[in-house]
Amino acid sequence: MESEKKSKHGKIFKWLDERYNLTGLIEFAKKKSVPKFRETIWYYFGGIALLLFVVQVISGILLLMYYKGTEDLAFESVHFITTKVSFGWLIRSVHSWSANLMVLSVFIHMFSVYFLKGFRKPRELTWYTGIGLLAISMAFGFSGYLLPWNELAFFATKVGTDIVGEVPLVGEPLLKLLRGGEDVTGATLSRFFGFHVAIFPGIFIILLTLHLLMIQRQGIAEPEDYAKLPPNEKKTIPFFPNFALRELLIWLIVINILAILAVFFPWELGTKADAFASAPVGIKPEWYFLFMFQVFKFLPGEILFLPGEFVGLLLFGIGGLLWAFVPFWDRRTPEGKRNKILTYFGIFVIIFILVFTILGFIME
Amino acid sequence: MKKKIKYFPASALLLIFICGMVRAQSNDECYKCHLDLGDAPSKIYKTDIHFIKGISCAGCHGGDFGSDDMDEAMNKEKGYIGVPARNNRYQVCVNCHNDENKMKRYGSSLASDQYEKFKMSVHYKPSYNNQGPIADCITCHSVHDIKRTNDPLSKVYPTQIISLCGSCHSSAEFMQRYNPALPVDQVQKYRTSVHGKLNAKGDPNAAECVSCHGSHEIQPVKDSRSLVYATNIPSVCANCHSDTKLMSKYKIPTDQYDKFVSSVHGVALLEKGDLSAPSCNDCHGNHGAIPPGFESISKVCGSCHVLNMELFEQSPHKIAFDKNNHPECESCHGNHNIIHSTDEMIGTQESSVCVNCHKVGDDDKGYMVAGEMKRLIDSLRIQDDETKKILDQAVQKGMDVSDATFSLQDVRQVLIQSRTTIHSFDLDMFKENIDDGFNIVSKAKVTGEEAIDEFYFRRIGLGISTIIVTLLVIGLYIKLRKIEKKA
Repeated sequence: MESEKKSKHGKIFKWLDERYNLTGLIEFAKKKSVPKFRETIWYYFGGIALLLFVVQVISGILLLMYYKGTEDLAFESVHFITTKVSFGWLIRSVHSWSANLMVLSVFIHMFSVYFLKGFRKPRELTWYTGIGLLAISMAFGFSGYLLPWNELAFFATKVGTDIVGEVPLVGEPLLKLLRGGEDVTGATLSRFFGFHVAIFPGIFIILLTLHLLMIQRQGIAEPEDYAKLPPNEKKTIPFFPNFALRELLIWLIVINILAILAVFFPWELGTKADAFASAPVGIKPEWYFLFMFQVFKFLPGEILFLPGEFVGLLLFGIGGLLWAFVPFWDRRTPEGKRNKILTYFGIFVIIFILVFTILGFIME
Repeated sequence: MKKKIKYFPASALLLIFICGMVRAQSNDECYKCHLDLGDAPSKIYKTDIHFIKGISCAGCHGGDFGSDDMDEAMNKEKGYIGVPARNNRYQVCVNCHNDENKMKRYGSSLASDQYEKFKMSVHYKPSYNNQGPIADCITCHSVHDIKRTNDPLSKVYPTQIISLCGSCHSSAEFMQRYNPALPVDQVQKYRTSVHGKLNAKGDPNAAECVSCHGSHEIQPVKDSRSLVYATNIPSVCANCHSDTKLMSKYKIPTDQYDKFVSSVHGVALLEKGDLSAPSCNDCHGNHGAIPPGFESISKVCGSCHVLNMELFEQSPHKIAFDKNNHPECESCHGNHNIIHSTDEMIGTQESSVCVNCHKVGDDDKGYMVAGEMKRLIDSLRIQDDETKKILDQAVQKGMDVSDATFSLQDVRQVLIQSRTTIHSFDLDMFKENIDDGFNIVSKAKVTGEEAIDEFYFRRIGLGISTIIVTLLVIGLYIKLRKIEKKA
């Protein structure tokens, strides 16, 4: 009986192997290994972000079955999902929490790659695609925040897009492109819905595929100290099953955390957006935009004859570009030298983001 | 003797004043000449208060009253104006009546603010042909035969004033020029009223036009400055009806105002400024004011409380009340002191009005119906409160029960309708109505309970899934240890 089963499986394997060369793939997987070092734990955040993206796609598709992206029905449809649809409350809560955890994982992943110098030659393009993925993740968050069409999201989007309008030359047309007109209206909602479920996923999938292919092609980056070790002292673990099982273990923990957050802290819906109502107190964007929002709040109206918001945008623009193009200007690391400025810059950025985010939370 | 001495100086002064006036009149060449000519104004001027006070023709017409030469007496340079022009003839009166010192000089204690009041009044508005105000001093007080206002012969004496006001206000043709919407049957109605009948009998104390509308300061009824503006009416009526001395003559109580002020209607009208709340005239009428009769009370109250009236008129109480001469609404709710109706008014407990007539006993159906209605209302209110608490619990647990919470608002409406249906005193009709409330409450209660169950289901579901995932994590960890040990 057992042998009969085996022979059946064998036949299916043989049929597939003849066509898709599975044996070659298995051989490759068996040989594939990843470096093992003290900081390996930080490398799991890329995988966590990937898991959460998959959760986003699945929960997002489920939400799409009931969500209606129009000014009149958006709020009501989300209310319907959370109150009437079986497990709708869970799907929506999971989608919201997973989005936030995903952005957090991407941030942690980015900082760990930065501090472990994973961006250095020959992985510059992997870093750039990663930066692109972070940008799209934040854009996902920004566009998704408006979709329930509640009061807080409506005004936060208004403030957020207002800042975009301050960009010189392209600000005004960009603002109109985002809003679908002069103001945040039903047209903005339809536009954001389109971005959120079609354009951003498309771009994200392309960047993600490139990102993963590059990692597959080049292998996981080795930290500077590890790379300097002689080959016989370099510890590795097999990708299958060791690394894959470790990743799976962490994924299961993340799923547990996600479920607890979704059940104990369900995402609130608030009240329906009313364009004619006055803005409520305490409008705040999502936490990952909060540091920028807080900095803009502190900026004076005018700095050296230039509008304060423009100067803020300029500084963030320069800072962002400096960060994104770190493989371009960091000359010391590829030469095997320690670049302390790079580390200090990274620490400064983390402290800056933390301080202003905390200020954003505690200040009204 | 002492008293006589005391009044002597005053009497002497009066005598000197009268002598002075007689002298002045004997020197009034205008009057003498015109009287000789036999013209009508001079004849009637003899009894005019102004003539009595020593005011010559020149006081109004100007000129030199001391000269017997016509050219000199009627010289424009000496201020002669002839017959004052219609459009500003009131200025002739204003010259003295607006001047406190002049008025005192003639020994008058009249207030000198009539002109100021008149300027604000509706009658001061321009007439249709631009001939000055619609009505001026002469229109009401007449000319050359003006009497003191307390003189029964005065045009504005209480018994005379009705026809004076009616001379314009009863004329559809005249009123149409100024306010076509204003009725012209006020005098007709007034004559049917208690006030009007007493006035016709010559009672100057009975309310007439001026008593309510004022005199020089009359405003349109819809103007909040008007004495008969809805919120001002109670105090206007109270001017007489709270006067115990005045009312003792008519043997009517004087506590209506005090009762009304604290009543549900009084609070709504006077404290909340709700103009839809009734004032005295809404129940008693205004020009045709009389107390409503026993049989007509429900009609009076029913002009606002329509449904209650309709239900009451079809109820067994209507026949019983009429038979026993019980006032309808008033028997349970009172009249001037109507307080906010509560559910305590119905039932068989001590506070209920039903037990005033219905007594405990097997053969008193009314007693049973009252008790059952009270039980059902109380039961709905209690269930409504309980359901709200259940829904609150669900909300506190983070569950969305907004639809059920919203549906409970209808219970309030059902309770209002049921309280109205009480006036039918028909238990079946009442039950049919209140059952809607019980249905809403039971559905909302089920929703609330289900939401709480769902909350616990989520917790249990989370607990089970967390345990499964944790077991998987432990299993994987053990497996990994094994694999890595082998390696």
